Amino acid sequence: MVFILGNTFHESQLLKKCLESFYGIGHQSSSRIMAKFHIFPRAKVGSLPNKTILAITAELSTMKIENELRRQLRENLSRLRDMGSYRGRRHAMGLPVRGQRTRSQITTARKLNRVDRIG
Amino acid sequence: MFPSRALLARSVWKGPNIVPLPIVRPAPGQKVPPIKTQARSATILPNFVGLKFQVHNGKIYHDVTITEDMVGHKLGEFSPTRKRFTYKQSKNK
Repeated sequence: MVFILGNTFHESQLLKKCLESFYGIGHQSSSRIMAKFHIFPRAKVGSLPNKTILAITAELSTMKIENELRRQLRENLSRLRDMGSYRGRRHAMGLPVRGQRTRSQITTARKLNRVDRIG
Repeated sequence: MFPSRALLARSVWKGPNIVPLPIVRPAPGQKVPPIKTQARSATILPNFVGLKFQVHNGKIYHDVTITEDMVGHKLGEFSPTRKRFTYKQSKNK
């Protein structure tokens, strides 16, 4: 078992997948982090020395990820809502925000658009 | 990577959409009537903060008090143009 930022990962997992399991890290930032520490793309977590893992954890703790990022998202939405702007109102109603048609196919908006958005 | 969407929406060289609005700065203690306007596309500038506008939505004028958060948005964003659908029962069929 390997610990990265409080989460446990199995040794056989790819480091790229481990990094991308955090909210706010995708393909681009995960490859950037790996490039920064000279890790090849298909490296497994178990193959890395402990020092590198600690360095990655330190790098991640400086980034805006997980709950911090979620809070920022929610703050932005509540700011729009409190202003009384059209975008904030559409978010509160759970409808498309950017002028899409609403006759059909608004499942994504129904699922995601809300003021206390999860992610 | 991506500059903000607000920048992408309009060419930077154009600057904000500045509409000549009849803004008067009154002496303190004096009341000013809200500024009635139909310029929904006018960008809210920092010197609008605290002023009261009446923004047209195509039918009526909505009262909008400008706060600091609204700077950079358009006046029209704060005056809804659509009515919520309500089912009306017709009496004579």
